[in-house]
Amino acid sequence: MLAYTIRRVLISVPVLLGSTILVFIMVKLSGDPLESIKLRNPPPPPQTIKLEEHRLGLDQSWPLQYWNWLKGLVLHGNFGAAVQPSDNIGSEIGSHLWVTMRLVFFSVLIALILAIITGVLSAVKQYSALDYTTTFFGFLFLSMPVFWFAVLLKSWGIWYNQNVSANTFYTIGDKSVVLENDTTWGHITDVAGHMVLPTIVLGLAGYAGWTRFTRASMLEVLNSDHVRLARAKGLRSRKVLVRHALRNALIPLTTVTALDIAALLGGAILTETVFQWQGMGALFVQSLRDKDAHLMMGWLLVSATIVILFNLIADLLYGVLDPRIRHA
Amino acid sequence: MTEPTTKAAAPSAGKPVATDPATGRVEREFTVKDRSQFQQTMRRFLRHKLAVGSLIVFLLLVLFAFVGPHLWKYQYTTITPDNSVPPSMKHPFGTDNLGHDMFAQVLRGLQQSIKVALSIALIATVGGTLWGTISGYYKGFVDNALMRFADLILTIPSLALAAALANNFSGSWWIIAIILGGLAAPYVGRVVRGMVLSIREREYVEAARALGASDIRIMLRHLVPNAFAVVVVNATLLVASGILAETSLSFLGFGVRPPDTSLGVLITLGQGAVNTRPWLFYFPGLFIILVALTVNFLGDGLRDALDPQQTRQRR
Amino acid sequence: MRTTKGLFGLVAVGVASLLAVSACGGGSGSSTGGGDTSSSFADCATKPLTCNSGTTKQGGTVTYTIEKTISGWNLNSAESNTFDFQEVLDGVLPQGPFINTPDLQPTLNSDLMVSAEQTSTSPQTIVYKINPNASWNDGTPINADDFTYMWKTNNGVDCKTCDPASTAGYDQIQTVTGSDNGKTVTVVFKTPYTDWKGLFGPMYPAHIANQHGDLGASWKWLNDNQPTYSGGPYVITGYQKDASVTETPNPKWFGKTKPSLEKLVFRIITDQNQEVPALQNNEVQTIYPQANADIINQVKQINGVQYMLGKGLQWEHLDLNLKNPLMADTKLRQAIFTTIDRKQLISKTVGQFDPGITPLNNHNFMPNMDGYKDVISSTGQGTGDVAKAKSLLTGAGYTGVGTALKSPSGAPVQFRCSFTQGNVLRQQSCELFQTELQALGIKVTPTPITSLGDTLSSGDYDMIIFAWVQTPFIFSGAYQTWLSTSSSNYGHWTNSQSDALLKDAAQNTDHAKAVQDLNDADQIMANDAYVLPLFQKPTFLAAYSNIVNIRDDATSTGPPYNVQEWGMRAS
Repeated sequence: MLAYTIRRVLISVPVLLGSTILVFIMVKLSGDPLESIKLRNPPPPPQTIKLEEHRLGLDQSWPLQYWNWLKGLVLHGNFGAAVQPSDNIGSEIGSHLWVTMRLVFFSVLIALILAIITGVLSAVKQYSALDYTTTFFGFLFLSMPVFWFAVLLKSWGIWYNQNVSANTFYTIGDKSVVLENDTTWGHITDVAGHMVLPTIVLGLAGYAGWTRFTRASMLEVLNSDHVRLARAKGLRSRKVLVRHALRNALIPLTTVTALDIAALLGGAILTETVFQWQGMGALFVQSLRDKDAHLMMGWLLVSATIVILFNLIADLLYGVLDPRIRHA
Repeated sequence: MTEPTTKAAAPSAGKPVATDPATGRVEREFTVKDRSQFQQTMRRFLRHKLAVGSLIVFLLLVLFAFVGPHLWKYQYTTITPDNSVPPSMKHPFGTDNLGHDMFAQVLRGLQQSIKVALSIALIATVGGTLWGTISGYYKGFVDNALMRFADLILTIPSLALAAALANNFSGSWWIIAIILGGLAAPYVGRVVRGMVLSIREREYVEAARALGASDIRIMLRHLVPNAFAVVVVNATLLVASGILAETSLSFLGFGVRPPDTSLGVLITLGQGAVNTRPWLFYFPGLFIILVALTVNFLGDGLRDALDPQQTRQRR
Repeated sequence: MRTTKGLFGLVAVGVASLLAVSACGGGSGSSTGGGDTSSSFADCATKPLTCNSGTTKQGGTVTYTIEKTISGWNLNSAESNTFDFQEVLDGVLPQGPFINTPDLQPTLNSDLMVSAEQTSTSPQTIVYKINPNASWNDGTPINADDFTYMWKTNNGVDCKTCDPASTAGYDQIQTVTGSDNGKTVTVVFKTPYTDWKGLFGPMYPAHIANQHGDLGASWKWLNDNQPTYSGGPYVITGYQKDASVTETPNPKWFGKTKPSLEKLVFRIITDQNQEVPALQNNEVQTIYPQANADIINQVKQINGVQYMLGKGLQWEHLDLNLKNPLMADTKLRQAIFTTIDRKQLISKTVGQFDPGITPLNNHNFMPNMDGYKDVISSTGQGTGDVAKAKSLLTGAGYTGVGTALKSPSGAPVQFRCSFTQGNVLRQQSCELFQTELQALGIKVTPTPITSLGDTLSSGDYDMIIFAWVQTPFIFSGAYQTWLSTSSSNYGHWTNSQSDALLKDAAQNTDHAKAVQDLNDADQIMANDAYVLPLFQKPTFLAAYSNIVNIRDDATSTGPPYNVQEWGMRAS
C-alpha cells in the first residue's frame, strides 16, 4: 500500500506541472495585467510601467517567466509576485483555503448525513410516497442552477429575518465585523448565522447526487445474494440492514464523495461570489479579473493537489473498507 | 460536470451489459436473440412512465424553442415601446427595460441553451468514447499518455478551467459548447476505458481476434457497442449538466455573451430584479429547471431500461 | 474604479466589473423622481453641501460599503490609486490643501490649512499656510517636510523606483520651500499649471516614511503597510484583509468637528448585486453602487432607508474611429450622430429611474460645473433627425440611403458597435443604435469586447461606447485626451486649431480665459462629429435615515469627504 501511495504521488507530479503550463499559457493569452494602470489618464509615467513590468517579470520571455516561477517555487516555496502588490500569494492561498475548506467540510458533512438517511429510507421503502418524494426533490436539486437557488435562498433568509425582527441569517461574509453580543455564545450564533445559507447552497447539489447513489447501491446490496442469505438464515431485518447492507452500500459512497471534491471546489466559486466569502473561489475570480498568472497557477496547484489527494484517499479507503481489494 | 459520471457510472459501470445489443445484425455468428433484446429494452423503457412523459415534454420544449420563434410576433431583437411591463396578454412573460419581449427572449435563450447542451453531450460522448476505447484497447504507452492527459483535466475544477479558457474567446454558443464538451470528454473516456478493459478480455473478442479481425473492426463492432448502454445514459445526463454548466459560466461572465442570449445569460441579467421585476428572473430559471429535470428523468429511465440486472430488481 | 488623481480616469468600470453585471434601467413606472421627497436627501440638488444635516448623538457604528478589495495603501502610487481605497482613507489622511466638495469645487481644507493662495503668476508661486495645530497622531506637526516628500516622490525625477499614478503638476514644480517652522510652504513652478489646487493630496507623514529607507523604499513601505498613523478624524484600528476596515476616532484630531461615532466600518462587497440584500438585512448601513432601476426599486421597499440620485462626474459617450476609411468622411459621421436619438436612449435606460437625466452637451464640463456650455445642440447631433441625416448623405453622394447604404465610391457602409462585455447599459445602447441607424441603411453589429484597453489602443473598433470620469481639475486632462498627438486620442481626430486652444487652456493662469479656450476647442470638435456625449451617469447613495450628515460627493473623494461629521441622529 505504501509503495502504491508513493507511486501515485510521483505520477501526479507531471500532471500538476502540465496543468500549470496549461494555465500559464491561458492566462498569458488573456491579456495584459497592467492594462488598467496603462489606461489611466493622464497616463502614469513610463518609469512606473517599467517598474511594474519588472516586478511581475513581464519584461522576460514566456518560457523564462515560467521557469523563474518554477524555480522560485521549488527552491524557495515562493509563488511569485501578485498583480495586487501587497498580496503574498502563498499566505493569501493559505487564508482563503481555510475559509473554503470550512465551508466545504460542513456542506459535505450535512449533505452526507441527510443523503444517507433519505437514501436508505427510500431504498428500504421502495415505491412508497417517501421514496417518490425524495426522488423528486433529489432530481429537482440536481436540475437547479446553483446561483439561481442562492439568490432565492438569500431573499427568503432576509424575509425570515424581517418577519421575526432578528438577524438570524446573514447574507455577506463569514462573520460580523462588529459584534453587538460580544460573548462566546454571541460568536457562535454569529458564525453559524453566516454559515447556514451558503452551506445549504453548496451542499444541495452534492446531497442530490449522493442520496440517489445511496438509494441505488442500497437496492443493489439488498438484492444481493449474501443479504438474501442473511435474511434466509433468519437474522432480524434491522441487523441485516445495518451490519450487512448499509456497510456494503457505503463503501462506494466514500469513493464518490471524495471524487466529487473537484465539483465542490467549482461550486464554491459561485457560492462564495453570491455570499461574498473570501475563499478560494473569490481568489480564483480575482486571478481571472487581474489576469494574474502567478496567482492562478498557485490557485490551481493547491486545488489540483487537493483533488489528487482526495482521489488517493478514495482509492485507499476503498481498499481498507473492502478487503477484497488490495493495492499492489 | 462531475455529477453525471458519478451517478451514471455508479450503478451500471461495474457490470457491463452482458449481451451485445447492437452487434446482432452484423455478427450473426455470435448473436443470441438480438431482436428480442432490443424489444425488451424498449418495453422496459416504455413501462417507465415518468421517463416517457419526460421525453415527450423534452421534445415539446425542443419544438417550442426551434419553431416558436418563427410563430411568435416578436423577434428576440425587437425593441417594443413597452418598457419593463409585467406579464400580460400582449407580453406573456413581460418585457425588460429596453422593451424586449421576454417571451421572445426566453424562446431564443432556450434555443441557444438547448443547442449548447446537446452539442456538449455530443462532443463529450463522441470524444470520450474514442478516447476511452483507444486508451483501453491499446493499453501501454498510448493508454498512459491519454489517461495522464485526462487526469490533467480532471484534477482542475472544470468550472474554473472553462472560465479561464472561455476568457480567451468571444462568447459564441459553439465555442462554449466545444470548451464544455471538451472538458467533459475525459469523464466519459474514463468510464468507457474501464468497460473496454473488461470487455477486451472476453472470449468473443478473443475469437474475433483469432479470426483475423482488425483492431478498428474489433473496436467498432465489439467494444463500442458494448459500452453503449453506459455511454447513452451518460450522454443524457451530460445534456442536463451541460445546460447548468453554461448557466454557471454565464454567471461568471464567460458564457454566451450579449447581445446573443441564453437562459444562463437571462437569469444572470435578471438576478438583481428578483424582488422588483420577478418575471425577468423566474421565467428563464423555470425553463432551465424544466429542461434539466426532464433530461435527468429521461436518463434515469434509460439507465433502468438498458441495465437489465438492475431493472429486474426494480420491477 | 474611478481614479483619484487622473483628470479623466478612463473608466475601468466596465473592465473591472467581471461580476457586476446588472440590468440597467427599467422600473416599476411609479418612480417619482430624483429622490424620495419625504427624505432629508430631498434638497441635495439645491443644497449639495448641507442636505441631510443634523445634530448627532455620541456613539454608534456606521458600516459603509466599498466594492474593491484593498491591494495597497499608498493612494499616490499607480497600483493603489483607486476610488474605493481613497474612500477608506478619506478620514485617515489629510486630504490636501483643497477638498473636492459635493458642489464639485476644490474648497480650501480649513481644518488643515489657514490659507493657500497664488501670490504671483510669473513665475507661478503658491503660498500655503498650514494650521499651527495640525499634527499626526504621534504628535509630529504636519509641515513643509510632508509637502516636500510628496513632491519628490511624485515628480518622476527624484525617485527612480517610485511609481506615481501621475506626475502631472509635480514635474512642473521648481522648488518647495518651508519657512515659519515649516508651517508655511512656498511652491514655485517652472511653467504655469492651471490645476494647482489639485496638488498635494492625500498627504503621507514624511517623518514616518523617513524611518523606512530612502524615497523609493519608504514609498513601497507606505503601500504595503496598513496605516497606524493618522492626520485625520479617524484612525484604523482593525483590518480583515478582503473583508473590512474598522476605524475609530483619532484622539489627536485637530479639526473643528470631532467624530461622534464609536466605530466606522468599511465593508467590502465585490459583487454589486449583493449590496442591496446586505443593506436590507442591516449588515451594512449605507451603499454607493452604480445605479440601476432594480437597485433603486428594491431600496425603496426597505423601511428606514433613504436614498438620493446625484449628478455624477462619469459620462458615457459614443466614439467613432477615424482610422476606418469610411468614418474619415465628416458628412457620414455627422449623419450618424444626427440619427442617434439621445432622448430615446435615456428614456429606455437611465431615464427610467432618474427622470432628471438630460443629454450631455459638452466634452469637458458637466452641467453642474462652472464653465459648462452647450456645444452640441447647434450641430443638430443626437436628436434623431433622420430626414436631416438622409439629406446630408444624399448631398455627399451616398447611394442606397435608407435601404443599404453605399459610400460614393461604392463601398457598403457597415460598422461594429463595440461595448465592454458585461456592461448592460452599453450593450443596450449599441442595440438601440443598431435599430436607429437601420433608418439610414447602415448595418450595425453590436460587438462585445473583453478588454476596453486593448481595443482602444489597438484601434480595433468602428464605433465604441465608454465613459470618462471628470475631476474638478479639467484643463490638463482635456489636453491629454483631445490633443491630436495624444496617445489617449484613440479615434485619431486631428485639428491644429483645436490643439493650440487646448495647449493654451492647460497653461493659462487666467481661469476665465482658460474656460473660453477650452469651450472654443470643444465646439470645433463637436462640429466635426468625432465624439458624441450621451449623458451624465447618476450617482446613487442609500443610507439608513438615522445617519445624519452623510451625503453624496460625486468627485473622486467620494461621500466620506466629511466623514468626521457623520453620526447617529440625536432624537
